[in-house]
Formats: sequence, structure tokens, C-alpha cells
Amino acid sequence: MELLWQQVAAGFASGAIYACIALALVMIYQAIGHVNFAQGEMAMFSTFLAWQLMQWGFSYWIAFIGAVGISFAAGIVIDRLIFKPVRAGPVLTQIIMFVGLLTVINSVAGFIWDFTSKPFPSPFGANPLFGSWLISTHQAVMIAVTFMLLLYGFFRYTRVGLAMQSAAENPASAKLVGIRVEWMIALGWGMAASIGAVAGLLIAPIVFLEPNMMLGILLYGFAAAVLGGLSSPGGAVFGGFAVGIIENLSGIFIPVVGAEMKLTIALLIIISVLVIKPTGLFSVNQAERV
Amino acid sequence: MTKLLEVRDLHAFYGRTAALHGISFDMDQGSVTALLGANGAGKTTTLRAISGMIKRTGEIRLRDRSLMKTLTEDIVRIGVAHVPAGRGTFLKQTVEDNLRLGAITRHDKAGIAADVEMVYGYFPILKERRTQPAGLLSGGEQQMLAVGRALMLRPKLLLLDEPSFGLAPLIVREIFSILRRLNKEEKVSILLVEQNASIALELADHAYLIETGRIVFAGCASDIRNNEQLRRSYLGY
Repeated sequence: MELLWQQVAAGFASGAIYACIALALVMIYQAIGHVNFAQGEMAMFSTFLAWQLMQWGFSYWIAFIGAVGISFAAGIVIDRLIFKPVRAGPVLTQIIMFVGLLTVINSVAGFIWDFTSKPFPSPFGANPLFGSWLISTHQAVMIAVTFMLLLYGFFRYTRVGLAMQSAAENPASAKLVGIRVEWMIALGWGMAASIGAVAGLLIAPIVFLEPNMMLGILLYGFAAAVLGGLSSPGGAVFGGFAVGIIENLSGIFIPVVGAEMKLTIALLIIISVLVIKPTGLFSVNQAERV
Repeated sequence: MTKLLEVRDLHAFYGRTAALHGISFDMDQGSVTALLGANGAGKTTTLRAISGMIKRTGEIRLRDRSLMKTLTEDIVRIGVAHVPAGRGTFLKQTVEDNLRLGAITRHDKAGIAADVEMVYGYFPILKERRTQPAGLLSGGEQQMLAVGRALMLRPKLLLLDEPSFGLAPLIVREIFSILRRLNKEEKVSILLVEQNASIALELADHAYLIETGRIVFAGCASDIRNNEQLRRSYLGY
């Protein structure tokens, strides 16, 4: 029984991280209608930035805030420089841009910091999720949840939050009330990059820091976003925790799955959702007038 | 009467296809001006050109200020509120948030709160439904919400695209009588695009008839109402 609760708690911890990634995917999906395949690499790069700041002697939290802040700015720059010019282009163009961004970031990170794994410190002492797991998983979840609550408050209670939602829902009409839609999209990119950075910083102590560290994580995040519905931030958070817990429990309690087959669970979730309820659990059905 | 809007030799394009071929018209401060014509005549296009939503050439002036090089978002800030065809409702937001979105470019909190109440005064049904998502409103209520949202800008010029579209005759009457009150009591200048010419001419002071991107007749609303031949050949009633 205790094992069960331990695994649920660990599921919550990794789930919080998947939720962050899923949320980042949803932010960009809502803004431009495409899934950002480079989200994982962006998060990885942010984590390297934090690592670099720490190498230069800054404390963990300074590096944390620095990386999140720089990522925010970088997200905006990526949108304005790379994606705004092809906004009206065909879908394939945009997909290729995402894939290109993924490879470029991956290679640049490898070029600057090389491909060897680096230990990444945790604010809670060594090896948080497996060591003194009760306190530390709790704290990891706290950080992620704090960010999600901040985000919720932003969208629910601020003018800019309202403007961003409206720009995503109906861009033409948003322009007609004076909302600067292009800047709202850029802001969405910035925020997605920031949340991704949080996820990267939280997962790095477990998977170790290297340019390919987010590959599996992005898949889990993607599963979480699909499960919740790509257009529902709340659904993405729920999906994140659900995927985290399912992944952990099935890894322990279903003998066939084990540690090696865990990633398959993520793919299984994606496929089942797409077959049974393609819009996800929480997505509002979008009726379109024709 | 001072001139509010001045349109000169306006051409507009969808891609490379021209949809307006040199339209010119004026609008007085405080008036209701109607653009009438059949489907595809270029009425909606004219409004979209004024709001900067499509490529256009020629000249558009609002109180001697040219709008030709101005982005849609900034034309709104100059004081042009556009209620598009299809109403442009933010279906996921509440009724009240839709109204607040109409005032998103304003920063006078007290004034915005007062204007929300002003809109509720004209459209009491919106007050009853203030916390509901706008997607749950009926078509007529959504049209009222769209007009209310536009009023929240305190616009110098209100552009209305087919406010009668898809609504029951009784609801259309109600909306047009409120539009008349808004014009008289709040001094809102309205540029109205309508296919329902008879009701538009009751509200309007001036009217322009558009056919395939050109103006074919201009005059007082009463002149058109009383000109049977014009009514029969262009307006179909």
C-alpha cells in the first residue's frame, strides 16, 4: 500500500513537469493553431542557460529566475523573427519551421555545451525525487503548481490575459476591438518558453542535463496535452498529472510494462485519445458556421 | 453639419481582384448613413476598407485625419467601432467580458463601468445574462451584445454590417428602434450596411446605392423611399 502512495506521489511530481510542458504546448497551439515540436528543445536550452549561470557563480534561484526571464524574451524573439513572417503560409511550411527550430536548437546546444550528460543541481538537495522523496517531490509540485496558479490568475483577472484569450479565440474580431493580435501571439510564445524553462529546470536533476534530455519528456507532455484537449489549459494540467500517475503506476504494477516500456504508455494514451475522443477530455466542441 | 467621414475614389482588393471601383461618399457628424445594394455589391467590402482589414487605395478621412496608412488596431483607437458581419462575438467569454473587451483600449475605469451600465440600460437582457458565456445567447441577443461592445469604445463612428441578418422581424424592429435612440440620445454617428433596405431607410438620413463596386445613386433616405422606380430596380420592394 505504501508503495502505491509513493508511486502516486512520484507520479504527481513528474506529472507537474508534464503539465508544464503540456501547458506550454497549449499556449502556442491556442495562439497559432500548431503544436510546437521544438518546445522540448527550447526547454532544454533554457535549462542549459540556468546551468551556465550557475557555472558563472550565481545561486540556484538567481539562475532559475534568469533562465525563465531570458526564455521569455527568447520566445518572443523566436516568434517575431521566425514564425511571424510565415504566419500566412501553408501548414507544411510552419511544421518544417518547427522541425528546423528543433534541430537548430539541439545542435547549437551541443556545439556550445557538448553532448555529455551534466549533473544538474536541485534546489532541494541531491537527487530529489528518489532521495528524501516525500519532501522534495512535494516541493517540485509546489513550484509547478505555483506557476500554473500564476498563469490562471493572469488569464482570469488581468486585461492582458483577457485580450490574449480573445485574440486566440477570434483574431479578426480581436483586432476590431483594438487588440494587437500579433503581440498577443508573441506574448504567448514568451510565456510558453518560460513555462517550458520551469519544466526543464525541474526535470534536469533526474534525467541529467544534455541536449537530448527532453525527448521523452516532450512526448509525455504531448500525451498530456492531447489527453486534456489541445485548446484547454486546465485540461493540459489535468492531463499532465494523469499521465504522470498512469506512467508511474503502470511501470510498477503492470509487470510487462516495467521501466523500459513506460514511454509506450504515453504513445498509447495519445493513440487512444485520438481514436476515442479526438478533441480531448476537456476541449469545448468548436462549431463552425459555414 | 460638420463632415465626419470622407471617402474619395476608394478601391479595394481581395488578393488581386478589385471589389470596389472608386467609391466616393461623405457622412455628416451625428447622422445615420446607409449603404444599400444587393449581395456582392461591395457594401461589406466598403466597411472592411474603412477599418483597414483589406488592401485599399484612394482616400478615407475621419475628421480630416487620413486612415489610409493606419492599422486596424489603431483605427479602433481613433474611434471607429466596427460590428462585423457575423457579429464577431467572443463566444467563450462572458457577456460582461465581451463588453469589457470593447473598451480594452480605454483606461478610464470609472468611465468603463458607467458605460457598461449605459449599455445595460439600452439592452436590459444583457444585464440578466451578464455572467453567461456569450455563446449561449440567441442570435438577437448576440447582435445586441455586438452593438453594446462597439458602444463601449465611445466611438466617433459606428460601422454596422447587416445588423438584421438572420433575425426574426420583431427582433429586427427592436434593434433598429434602439439604434435610433442611440443616434438621438448618445449622438452616435452610424454607417449602416443593410440588405433589408426598407428598415434601413426608416432609420437613415442619407443613403447610397452600391452596385458591383460603384455608387449608382446618392441622396436623402426619403428621396429613395419615394422613388418607386429606384426601389423596384435596386432594392426589390
